[in-house]
Amino acid sequence: MDQLLQLWHNSGLYQMTPGQGIMILIGMLLLYLAINKNFEPLLLVPIGFGGVLANIPGAGLAEHGGILHLFYAVGIESGAFPLIIFMGVGAMTDFGPLLSNPRTLFLGAAAQFGIFVTLMGAVTLSTLGVFDFSLADAAAIGIIGGADGPTSIYVASKLAPDLLGAIAVASYSYMALVPLIQPPIMRALTNDAERKIKMVQQRHVSHREKIIFPLILLLLVAFLLPDAAPLLGMFCFGNLMKECAVVDRLSNTTQNSLINTVTIFLGLAVGSKLSADKFLDLTTLGILVLGMVAFSIGTASGVIMAKLMNKLGGSQINPLIGSAGVSAVPMAARVSNKLGLEADPHNFLLMHAMGPNVAGVIGSAVAAGIMINYVGG
Amino acid sequence: MEASSLMEEGISLMLFGMGFVFVFLTLLVIVTTLMSWVVTKIEKNIGAIPEGGISSPTTFTPRQGLLKDDDENIITVLTAAVHKYRSRK
Repeated sequence: MDQLLQLWHNSGLYQMTPGQGIMILIGMLLLYLAINKNFEPLLLVPIGFGGVLANIPGAGLAEHGGILHLFYAVGIESGAFPLIIFMGVGAMTDFGPLLSNPRTLFLGAAAQFGIFVTLMGAVTLSTLGVFDFSLADAAAIGIIGGADGPTSIYVASKLAPDLLGAIAVASYSYMALVPLIQPPIMRALTNDAERKIKMVQQRHVSHREKIIFPLILLLLVAFLLPDAAPLLGMFCFGNLMKECAVVDRLSNTTQNSLINTVTIFLGLAVGSKLSADKFLDLTTLGILVLGMVAFSIGTASGVIMAKLMNKLGGSQINPLIGSAGVSAVPMAARVSNKLGLEADPHNFLLMHAMGPNVAGVIGSAVAAGIMINYVGG
Repeated sequence: MEASSLMEEGISLMLFGMGFVFVFLTLLVIVTTLMSWVVTKIEKNIGAIPEGGISSPTTFTPRQGLLKDDDENIITVLTAAVHKYRSRK
């Protein structure tokens, strides 16, 4: 009888706290969204499953010594995984559209406004006593507005490791929700004539320019903002490997097997942060709301910047591509293209939108560097 | 941290951050435009790198005139290929 009792005491059912039960359900919800609704499945499947694993009572997978905790310590605490992913993203990025129209970099800059407004929002909320965010927490939450998963995770791991689970989930879910969140904002801020603006055909960008660009970007980072050097350095390295075309084998590995391997472990490690005591908190709800605000403001300021640039002269820019300034490559650019086609079935904006789109990646990495510099240093 | 000073820190981080993002990307626009201009100038004289890139450092591209006859060339290649195919069997 004693042994039976002991078996019962060791069972998951006996040990489960209500919080763990809810977290397992949340993990299942993430899996459902990923599998049935196709929301960023590459990340939400590992994150959701990691979340379920982390909350198995008595198994302690996410506690010290558990395998998920190990993944976390090796890859995220050290900052390695987001950086490796960034290298892969660099190797998949084509700077051609950006180089043919460098002015679109301003759109990528403007869209970072959401990051800083949200930072202010978080600071205001904690001044009002609603939440208890430090400046570092606020900075990490704001970065969600950059709509760049690896950047968010990198900043959160440096500035606010406690909030990492919520921040990662928020930033990846919003990336998946780009096609739902952005269009209403874009429609509200533009009129029909603006949506129909046809942009000048892009000039041809020579191969040499594409090789030199990552090196220039790297030098600029090295001189001006060394705190962004880990992110942008890996990004430039990946891009150079792709463009120089003499190391195709390395570039292919970075773009495929390496980034996939790291994504698996990154997802599981983020999932390990979905433990009941950290996640089931009003703070998480606050982060989700603030992240949404960050994202919407980023979208809006990109569109407004494009309209402003049209007022200042030069070749006309379709304001719809402004929203692509919030990285989220290539989803945001596809949304711009879709709305452009709705207004005029012959107006293809995809390639034009890729410019601000990759500019957004650079912009949010720069913003991340500033946050780390200012708060950490 | 005291509430009001947290607000101040937030505001200064926002202004500083947004300002810096713009300064950085403006510089990038200037430098990039300059680079494109220089590269285009240079490439007028020396020609562009082939579109697919220099695929591998060991690639050997015979220059015009190095091999006398195109037909002769093709025959050499075909013979080599047939030879290789047979030797594999």
